[in-house]
Amino acid sequence: MKISTKGIYALEAVMDLAMHSEGELVTIKDISSRTEISEKYLERIVGALKKKNILESTRGKFGGYRLGAEAKDINVSHILMAVEGDLAPVECLTMTTDCGIDPDCCVTRIFWNGLWEKIKRITDNTTLQQLIDESEQITKEKIDALEYYI
Amino acid sequence: MKVSTKGRYGLRALVDLAYHCVDGHVSLVQIAERQKISLNYLEQVFSTLRKAGIVNSVKGAQGGYVLAIEPKDITVGEILRVLEGEFNIVDDLDQNQSANQTAIRRLVWEPINSEVRRYIYSTRLNDLVREHRMLNELSDENMYYI
Repeated sequence: MKISTKGIYALEAVMDLAMHSEGELVTIKDISSRTEISEKYLERIVGALKKKNILESTRGKFGGYRLGAEAKDINVSHILMAVEGDLAPVECLTMTTDCGIDPDCCVTRIFWNGLWEKIKRITDNTTLQQLIDESEQITKEKIDALEYYI
Repeated sequence: MKVSTKGRYGLRALVDLAYHCVDGHVSLVQIAERQKISLNYLEQVFSTLRKAGIVNSVKGAQGGYVLAIEPKDITVGEILRVLEGEFNIVDDLDQNQSANQTAIRRLVWEPINSEVRRYIYSTRLNDLVREHRMLNELSDENMYYI
């Protein structure tokens, strides 16, 4: 059970954009040069994020992207679900499947649902703002450590 | 982000085996019928489970499988590790990460990995068997009243 590269990159891309869009629009090229994610791949991710209103875009020569909501109002599950679909570990939790077993009597389905709850609890309760704060803290610690050595 | 077919079917088949093998061994044909899983696929899954020492095969015309361990002595996590490999949402990321990548790892991937691990290694096969019994015998009872 793995999260896809798309999910991993989407979080990085949105963080990068949020941290560099103080009043201005950010282009895919900018994000690509900082995150080293290819422009082509970013375009697909950004397209999916735009559809879910996590990002907004402006076209034209000075066009680019900005967040569609405040960082404190965007949580990790919004971002991951925009590119990964639901985060359910098995299909039968979110749609009708014809596995031949009565879903109400399927004990493993209940077990997987419990697992899904754990994943949702974390992704629903972690915001983009918290990620940004953590990243800034990490950078600050690195700088402090460097200054100490100098 | 999905559990593999092997993990899903394997766990379901093992619950079935554990539930039914109190009366002796169970043939894969019976499990295949009850769980609507192809026999071919079950044979592969049980070969993996046997190599890992979770089930034993009983040879002969009436052959089949029995659990090699008491259901209370094995966790779902141990079963899934055999069927799926280690249950991590992301593999070990390299340590040379940017501040953003480190933040994501600390606040998202690591908490998910540890919550998932805690959950699957604290659920035992007999917990699922007990729940399976409750669900199915309850519905049998309902049938009886109808």
